[in-house]
Amino acid sequence: MDIDLVRLLIPFAGIGAAIFLIVVLVRRRR
Amino acid sequence: MDGDELVRDYLGRLEAASWPMPPDRRAELAGEVREHIETALAEAGRRDDVTVRNVLERLGRPEEIVATEADAEPALPPWSRGPGGPATSAAGWGALEVAAILLLTVGAILLPLIGPAIGLVLVWLSTRWTTREKTIATVIVVVIFVLPFLGLFALALRV
Repeated sequence: MDIDLVRLLIPFAGIGAAIFLIVVLVRRRR
Repeated sequence: MDGDELVRDYLGRLEAASWPMPPDRRAELAGEVREHIETALAEAGRRDDVTVRNVLERLGRPEEIVATEADAEPALPPWSRGPGGPATSAAGWGALEVAAILLLTVGAILLPLIGPAIGLVLVWLSTRWTTREKTIATVIVVVIFVLPFLGLFALALRV
């Protein structure tokens, strides 16, 4: 695992949390 | 989870469930429910998690309280007004929530560390997610941030 791979993975942290929060809001609307 | 945490979680869920209501009514409802809980706990004379759970169970689910309030005041809930209701957009999201999601996604790519950090601050400022949901989102960010660095660390140890 080199530093470029780390840089590539970092955005997925925010995206993972965003997916969770979107799912929560969408499910609550139903 | 201790008694106080249970109460905080319950009030967070109530706050999240009541977001379509006008802000003053939401604050009033939260105040009423908090007062009710405190009175019931004072009468019980204990604040352990079993007593708190019993009090909260008697109150009912926060979503049910909000639904009852909405029925009692039919002019209030924007979800019953159909398209063009003033309080919510079609998706029901406020500017704060949209900004938070954008910073967590696009922001994470454009500003790898600062974007998600500001996004998380906005998530915690929003009232449409419960404290539990905000905590889970924060844990997701932190864990995925930390994992690659742990991988690098493990590799460095092996060399």
